[in-house]
Amino acid sequence: MKTTILKPFGGGLLALAVALATQSAQAASEAEKIIQDNCLACHSEQGESQWSRISHQRKTPEGWLMTIARMQVMHGLKISDEDRRTLVKYLADRQGLAPSETEGARYALERRLNTSESFDSQNFTEMCARCHSGARVMLQRRPASEWEHLVHFHLGQWPTTEFQALARDRDWLDLALNKMVPELAETLPMDSAAWEQWQQQAEAPVAGEWTLAGHMPGKGAFNARMSVTSAQGEDEYSLTLTGQYADGSALKGKGQAVVYTGYEWRANVEIDGQVMRQVFALKEGQLSGRMFLRDKDEVGADVVAARDAAGVSHILALQPAYIKAGSEADITIVGSGLSGLPVLGKGVDVIEVISESSSLIKVRARAAGDASGVMTPSVGSTEGGRFAVYDRIASVKVVPEFAVARVGGNGGSTPKVEARFEAEAWAAGADGKSGTADDYRIGMVPATWSVAPFDEVAEADRDVHFSGRMNSATGVFTPAAAGPNPERRMMTNNAGNLKVQATVQDGADTHSAEGQMIVTVQRWNNPPIP
Amino acid sequence: MKHLKAINNKAQLLSQAVADDSVEEVVAMSSLAGCTATTDPGWEIDAFGGVTSLCQPMEADLYGCADPCWWPAQVPDMMNTYPDWNKDAMNSKEDWRNLGTVFPKDKN
Repeated sequence: MKTTILKPFGGGLLALAVALATQSAQAASEAEKIIQDNCLACHSEQGESQWSRISHQRKTPEGWLMTIARMQVMHGLKISDEDRRTLVKYLADRQGLAPSETEGARYALERRLNTSESFDSQNFTEMCARCHSGARVMLQRRPASEWEHLVHFHLGQWPTTEFQALARDRDWLDLALNKMVPELAETLPMDSAAWEQWQQQAEAPVAGEWTLAGHMPGKGAFNARMSVTSAQGEDEYSLTLTGQYADGSALKGKGQAVVYTGYEWRANVEIDGQVMRQVFALKEGQLSGRMFLRDKDEVGADVVAARDAAGVSHILALQPAYIKAGSEADITIVGSGLSGLPVLGKGVDVIEVISESSSLIKVRARAAGDASGVMTPSVGSTEGGRFAVYDRIASVKVVPEFAVARVGGNGGSTPKVEARFEAEAWAAGADGKSGTADDYRIGMVPATWSVAPFDEVAEADRDVHFSGRMNSATGVFTPAAAGPNPERRMMTNNAGNLKVQATVQDGADTHSAEGQMIVTVQRWNNPPIP
Repeated sequence: MKHLKAINNKAQLLSQAVADDSVEEVVAMSSLAGCTATTDPGWEIDAFGGVTSLCQPMEADLYGCADPCWWPAQVPDMMNTYPDWNKDAMNSKEDWRNLGTVFPKDKN
């Protein structure tokens, strides 16, 4: 993104910096030529490298992609995929968001579509987040004049906006122009100190060797090494991924990555013939975010990663991240630059180091019968990670508490959207009472899963029978086929309102927990930010 | 509601929710990222957090709603943005399989 890039390749740094600066300037001039050739029939030039509308907004890479896609759909823009990628890169670098400006809204980029949104502003909730995600707005910055254009665009493009609930009962346009525009211009402004400062930051190194630690609902923990090398284009990289899941199955793939705005890592990695998308943020030598199937994004994993660097070490995760008091277990410490004695915490003895490398240390651990609480492990002088020791499970929660699955397939163009649940175990803490402030999270534990009608209507409509099947062992719910179902009342779809029930066995104790799942219809308009 | 009497199940459900003052509560619960519950009815979830008050089967009156942009974030609006969305699926009950998603994805 900037012209003063220094990357750690050893000798020839000056020559490299000059070469990269030249590459960056070339990319910018290429992007500007694409704008000149394609956008000026509608947009006007406002001085050097400045254009009406375009130069007065800041967005994420996905936000810019949606903007250009809208120009294609609504205004007949013809553009190749390659040119579109060049423009997204140019605009996200030049007019992106600072890392702090995306905090609290990254779930939308990471496709965590079971996130329940809540905003302080009731106006924002009712005016913006009632049709699309609030995050779609929170991930943009504009001056008042541009927010105002957006209001007029909404009303012009979708004139029935004013007739819908929470619009027809009020002076919608007055509220939109005179309350929302000032509110958005103040809370999501074009000019910000965070963006000013971010543009001055030196670019962080990306090429090198990384360790990844992750957790995928329905599959479990994994760790991997990721080798990243610079590729042809600006901020482009090639990568290979080699690792394994806790169940022993391999995780192996290769792909390409682009870093936008100096920190927004986006990669496509082909693993077992399927493309997984990585949406990570680069911060202080670490990557964090979510990796998911590009074409089935409910299947994904939380990921953290650290880059090997001389004199730096991190503990990323412990797998598994808990042990029962009075028991023994094999525990893997995942990190980078690991060296020294592994210590798991008070009351937990490392009785054997089974294997060790700078990224993985596998130990046999024994927890004393009276050990309890959340530990911060260490390896040598490096502290990090989280390790829970518990005597008994006190309560269990279904995660997510509320989820949406969608019917699909059956010859239609949209695949089924699964819902994936996990059982999160909690300990009661020192007071022995569940539901008090000293409760602590143990972690995700195996459970037996089932579904039941959520209410009388769901029972009468036989939602459990029609809307799909829960895998009792994995917590993965596969919805039923799309289309009208002649077997149902009014030929309705295979939608349903279901209780999601988890049963967890802890010695002689049985715990149960409930969540809710809506099985619903297809989403036909599916942009990167919901 | 004083002068109106609920005569079917849906209306009774609505009256009950108003009486219980629970409408706001259920709307808040249904605010899942990108889903619309408050477009009367919503697309994925109704204002009661369920599915019984939705327009389903969605194929029944799909174009009657897609044309006037009722859920433009979820369903392609045919008034302005995607006038040809249903060109291969004029009879939604029979031809729904010919409907496609609309975001112009990168081919790579």
